Amino acid sequence: MPIIESEGLRIEVNEEGFLAHPEEWTEEMAKVLAKAEEGLDELTPEHWAVVRFIRGYYAEKSLAPMVRKMCQATGFPLMKIYDLFPSGPAKGACKVAGLPKPDGCV
Amino acid sequence: MSRRTKSPSGVIDAPLDVAAQAKAREEGRPSVRDGRLKTYEPGANVGRFLELLGRRVSRPLAVSLTACVHCGRCAESCHYFLARPDDPTMTPVWKADQIRKIFKRHVDWTGRVAPWWAKAGTPDGDEDLNRLKNVVFGACSACRRCTFNCPMGVDTALLVRFTRGLLTELGIVPEGVFNVSRDQWETGNQMAVTETDFLETIEWMRDDLRAELGPGADIPVDRPDCDILYTINPREIKFDPRSIAHAARIFHAAGASWTLPKWGWDQTNFGLFSGDDALGAYVSRNLYEAAERLRARRIVISECGHGYRSTRWEGYTWSGYDQKLPTESIVAVLRRYLEEGRIVVDPGRNLEPVTFHDSCNIARSGDLVEEPRQVLRRVCADFREMHPNRQENFCCTGGGGLLAMAEYRPLRLEAGKVKAEQLKATEAALVCTMCHNCIDGLGDVIKHYHLPMRVVQVLELVSRALVLPAGS
Ligand code: SF4
Ligand code: SF4
Repeated sequence: MPIIESEGLRIEVNEEGFLAHPEEWTEEMAKVLAKAEEGLDELTPEHWAVVRFIRGYYAEKSLAPMVRKMCQATGFPLMKIYDLFPSGPAKGACKVAGLPKPDGCV
Repeated sequence: MSRRTKSPSGVIDAPLDVAAQAKAREEGRPSVRDGRLKTYEPGANVGRFLELLGRRVSRPLAVSLTACVHCGRCAESCHYFLARPDDPTMTPVWKADQIRKIFKRHVDWTGRVAPWWAKAGTPDGDEDLNRLKNVVFGACSACRRCTFNCPMGVDTALLVRFTRGLLTELGIVPEGVFNVSRDQWETGNQMAVTETDFLETIEWMRDDLRAELGPGADIPVDRPDCDILYTINPREIKFDPRSIAHAARIFHAAGASWTLPKWGWDQTNFGLFSGDDALGAYVSRNLYEAAERLRARRIVISECGHGYRSTRWEGYTWSGYDQKLPTESIVAVLRRYLEEGRIVVDPGRNLEPVTFHDSCNIARSGDLVEEPRQVLRRVCADFREMHPNRQENFCCTGGGGLLAMAEYRPLRLEAGKVKAEQLKATEAALVCTMCHNCIDGLGDVIKHYHLPMRVVQVLELVSRALVLPAGS
């Protein structure tokens, strides 16, 4: 599997850039994934609000949350999620939050 | 079998990953327990494969299995071969030959009598079947471009789907195919969206719509006697409901009578990709029954290539359902609204150059070609064709369910070379497509080849150009 190396970290990802071992996710990794996969130089508190919610939801249910839940939990309108994560909720936000690739046509 | 010939490097050795299958068995998942979804058992698979092959071969399949004259003309039509012109295993004919030689050895008389002459063969064991899996799932997006360019009428993609179906019966499938099939069998939709999730998301979109358009605007669910039963792709619910909002705005402006069904709303169909006709029948039947239950006058399918092909064409056969209602794409409806003056649009709101990508399942396999162009010419100031186009267009790379199979991604992106060249030559800022799969396939190509473009859908462009009547 491909490896992303940055900031002294070696992160194993799958062919689509999703973490190979989601349970090993750390906030440092999130920053590296955000830069490598989404071109984000910095994660703002708004990014973190989305990422932490996704992480918590995943820890509890082993599932990616619907975008509806992301907006509900953070109070952001739908378009805000796309502003924050250019690749959208699944390939952007969930990836930075270290989730495995969601199943299906995404 | 494939071990003794050249093999498509990069995909041929992908192992059979059965972790998800084992877990599903352990958890007693209903689709596995009742046998709708098969899991892998080591052992007698070759015998079972041959038995299924003999039993399932139909006339059109037999034609495609025997008519090939190995002229090699199909090679140039395949995006895999165009990316690897020195690799014979990328040609459609090589891929089809992997099933053809088994057929010849075991079903066709020439191969039984003179196997050496007919180049006939038998799979050695499960390892060979796994290699066959990697050819038919990993090195072909079932785009049918080669089919259109074969002088003998050989349908390689049909053979590919047929072979996928045999392997699906044995659980010899990529993990992604197993997972999505499981969810679609068990929840009626391929992303395991629950009814509550579905209704809550619709409610949310409805609130937003009313905030914009007033209390008269609606996204109805399960309303009987409507003109349109609108069916969607689960990713619209789970990750990207913007397209539902666009459709609702347009329906509102047109004064349409429409509804979503509470059950039977998923128009996508993984049975098309896995080759499992039973899954194909189950999913399409859900839609046909929903339309009947709600006494809708037509089924309208949101922008989705394989969903359109499955619901509009293949589903009739798979389900054996006596489906009398018209089934059409939302894009055909949009075209009609424009023609009848039911909606007013201002192309000045879409000034960036826009090109159109024909989804394989819509143009080549769905025969819906001019409608999207008629719409785009009305709603965009600068619409330009990509070349080649229409039935000759190249695949986005994500066809055949490949987006759900991460293990084949590097080869898929490599094979995206011709798509990237096509896109680049248009110098458009936006590439419009009427398929959710193509959105991601094209998005991946754009990212991989560093193209300065963005992917949009027809609904988004129409919604942006929509001039709402005063007072709404
Ligand atoms: S073009 Fe048709 S006949 Fe010629 S090699 Fe390809 S499949 Fe066979
Ligand atoms: S169906 Fe498409 S991807 Fe498959 S062999 Fe034919 S041209 Fe190539």
